[in-house]
Amino acid sequence: MLYTDERDPGNEMPEFGDHVDKTMFEQILEMDEDEKERDFSKPLIYNFFEQAADTFERMERELEQKNLSELSRLGHFLKGSSATLGFIKIRDSCEVIQEQGKLAGSESDLAACLDKIRDALAQARNDTDELRNLMIKYFEN
Amino acid sequence: MRPPRASSPGIAGPDIDLIFDLAPLALLVLSPAWRITRASARFLAEWRVSADDCIAHELLSFVERHLHPTRPTYLANLAACVDDALAARAPRTSRPINTRYGVSWKARVIPVFDGDELLSLVLEWQEGPLDNSDFESTEPGLTTDDAFRILVQAVKDYAIFLLDPKGRIATWNAGAEVLKGYTREEILGKHFSLFYSKEDVDIGKPEMELELCLRNGRVEDEGWRYRKDGSRFWANVIITAVYRDGEHVGFGKVTRDLTERKSTESRLIAAYEESEKLKSDFLANMSHELRTPMHGMLSACTLLLDTQLSPRQRDMVSIMEESGQVLLQVINDILDYSKLSSGSFSIHSDIVGITSIVTSVVRAIQPSLPPEVHFELFLSPDLPRSVRGDPLRYRQILQNVIGNAAKFTDKGAIRVHTSVECEDNETCTILTEVTDTGIGIPDTSAANLFTPFVQFDATTTKSYKGTGLGLSIAKSLAELMGGRIGYRPNPDRHGSVFWFTARFDKIKCLSDIRGWSRFGAIRDINAAPVKQPHAAPSPSSSVDINEMLKELRIVSPVKNMLLVEDNLINQKVMLGMLRAMGFKNVALASNGAEAVSLVRGKPAAYDLVLMDINMPVMDGHQATHDIRAAGILVPIVAMTAYALKGDQERCLETGMNDYIAKPVDKKRLIRVLGKWLLHMKDYRKTVDERLDEPRRRPDALCQPTPSVEADNPLELLTGNPVVPSTEASEGGKEHSIDKPLPASLSIRPRHGPEKVTGALDPLNNDENSCSKPIPVWNPESAHEDSRDNDDGLSREHKAEEQTDVNHLLHGKCPTSIGLPLVNRGRPPPPSQNQEAFAK
Repeated sequence: MLYTDERDPGNEMPEFGDHVDKTMFEQILEMDEDEKERDFSKPLIYNFFEQAADTFERMERELEQKNLSELSRLGHFLKGSSATLGFIKIRDSCEVIQEQGKLAGSESDLAACLDKIRDALAQARNDTDELRNLMIKYFEN
Repeated sequence: MRPPRASSPGIAGPDIDLIFDLAPLALLVLSPAWRITRASARFLAEWRVSADDCIAHELLSFVERHLHPTRPTYLANLAACVDDALAARAPRTSRPINTRYGVSWKARVIPVFDGDELLSLVLEWQEGPLDNSDFESTEPGLTTDDAFRILVQAVKDYAIFLLDPKGRIATWNAGAEVLKGYTREEILGKHFSLFYSKEDVDIGKPEMELELCLRNGRVEDEGWRYRKDGSRFWANVIITAVYRDGEHVGFGKVTRDLTERKSTESRLIAAYEESEKLKSDFLANMSHELRTPMHGMLSACTLLLDTQLSPRQRDMVSIMEESGQVLLQVINDILDYSKLSSGSFSIHSDIVGITSIVTSVVRAIQPSLPPEVHFELFLSPDLPRSVRGDPLRYRQILQNVIGNAAKFTDKGAIRVHTSVECEDNETCTILTEVTDTGIGIPDTSAANLFTPFVQFDATTTKSYKGTGLGLSIAKSLAELMGGRIGYRPNPDRHGSVFWFTARFDKIKCLSDIRGWSRFGAIRDINAAPVKQPHAAPSPSSSVDINEMLKELRIVSPVKNMLLVEDNLINQKVMLGMLRAMGFKNVALASNGAEAVSLVRGKPAAYDLVLMDINMPVMDGHQATHDIRAAGILVPIVAMTAYALKGDQERCLETGMNDYIAKPVDKKRLIRVLGKWLLHMKDYRKTVDERLDEPRRRPDALCQPTPSVEADNPLELLTGNPVVPSTEASEGGKEHSIDKPLPASLSIRPRHGPEKVTGALDPLNNDENSCSKPIPVWNPESAHEDSRDNDDGLSREHKAEEQTDVNHLLHGKCPTSIGLPLVNRGRPPPPSQNQEAFAK
């Protein structure tokens, strides 16, 4: 991100690679009253992973039902919270799911859309797992 | 007497030479080489030539000398006829040849063969009528000039013929034969209605045309006409009444076949329309694509201005930002134009406060004027307070026309005069005239003023920025609003008068106004004019975000917020941010329906609603709609997904007041909240309460601000209903409370439109200008929110904020708007301004 220079340079940013938009995530961390306890961000982040797991389960079910509109809605839903926390890789996959879910067309389109959603979902799950491990490491240290 | 001479043995008879000479025939005998060997006496007499004139002369050169007029075609025809006769070995008759004596001759060519050998050619000349058989044979009285006759005969592309006074066909030419398919014999004497369709005949069109023709001398018509074979052609028909010695003798009729031209025309039109459409589409797409990165750059500039910069860096970024704004305006012009020309432009219906819009546009433009230019504003007393129409587009026309006047006027005055042109029970048409003493428009350019991409003087283009689209856009907008636009030279002196009208619906119900005015006014902010290229660089970063946060923290503990958000994570983050800003009372709703029931349950409870758009059960648009429908005017700020183009305009359309992009950035949130919680009037305070409200404002805002005494930018910005002025004018005390008046109207006498109360400055007479909250919100917030903004709503919004913030910051307060009160139909009372204008 471009505008991080004005933020507190003393605040050491944990390394999450390209999973996380630092600006957004710092915004979350800043809301902690105690940087040791992380009473705000820690449960929030853990909640997110619960929400993500739950949403992925629902997505799997809707994939079986080939319910594109519901998939799009779920994609939008998780995109919202992942974007808020700055989890950009997950956000991007969710956006794919949301957009693909909007494309209700012919049968062949449907199959292609479902394929793309399946791929994006797998990617999102994978990224979520990786990020969860990084986050647990960060918060439990 | 010549002696008889035997020419052959056998029966003796008269000399053959004698017979030849005495025969009552005009005969020539030619050698096989077409040289004249003999001419009969009759021939010599008739042609008035001597034997020497013709004997031994070559036929064609002899005839040529006697032609009148000298027409090569006569000779060619004669030669062809001889050739033909030779080829056929049989007599042939040539077409008539006119000689100088006003007679015409046809030659019967008789070839004489002996076996295969051509012995001689005998030409028997028969005198005929002049070669004007068509005219002469039927209307012998109509002698016309040879040239004309020949012309008519020769023309094949036009059917030219005469009708008798009853409409029967009297003559026929080659063109008519070709075009209509009838031969002369078939058609002569028939009525000309034969060429018309049955429908035309049934409605009596042919007769009608003759009647019209008699009345007017001529008649012209285009339409389908029919040939003999039933096929039709697209005809241009001109009928002319023909008189001889004052007596009507018939009609001349000229018919042209325009079928080909017509189909070419329609092909051309189709091609033109296609290319216009492609051009418009292209422009629209281009503008769209250009605008997205433009917004990105402008936002980045704004954020950059927020950082620690040296004064020099700040200057440069300001220049970038300003230039970007100018460029964005150009792009928006093009987009508007392409939308207008593709017909995809729509006019919204909203409350329009004519006077406040005019006043605020004038105020926005005035700072860009050099001090030598005096600005005068005349608002007719009978202007309606509020009408229904599209405030945004009305403002855009005003902005353009007044902006032009400002652009091209270096000294003198600009006078804006707004009045009611006409009205009925349902509508009223508002006329605005803008008179300037600028460079004026050359007569030659006046016709192209409203043509797209034309700037009247190419040499001025360099010194006057613009796309050349402004007036063309204004024209289309005026027309969309049921009005017109026009130009005339300034009658008094150098300069121009531009005027336009727009038709608005009247508002009948007072409660409508109260319900709408707040909302309409808020919409109106967004309709504020675009930034003038001349405006000073934006002082955007002057209001520090931390200052604003400090101010916000003072009021936040007592503010009641409603957060509408379905995603638990987002809810928590928003709550965290709000708490960090000191908000203690934040209610939650997880969908639109919950929000509506909470707000309706306590209509005055919340200071602001943060509204997610995409939610289950009921989305943010519907929720907003329902809240507004219940008459609750709580500020609603949409939290909208950044990527959705057009989403933000839609938020404003459905009745929200502002928007913030998701994911929500803390700084932006601070700005938006600061704007609505610190700087806007409380929606819960009715006009009555505001009347009695003690003048106070938060301490944090009490720092002295230049120009505040003379200025009331907020009201002009927002067009909000404000406290009617009580000291302003003699009529002021009589304002009824249930009719909120915009600031600009407060000086208007409510009673007695004939009464002139004198010149008063609406901007100087606000009774509580000192104690009003001063709008010092940072224009950047508008920047940030305006990305992906299709109609440039908040861009315009911001532009005006900036202008006004400029006044506040630089003390350049536009205090000198003269506002003589003028009654319609009466000249303005003399005033200083008036004199200034006349100078």
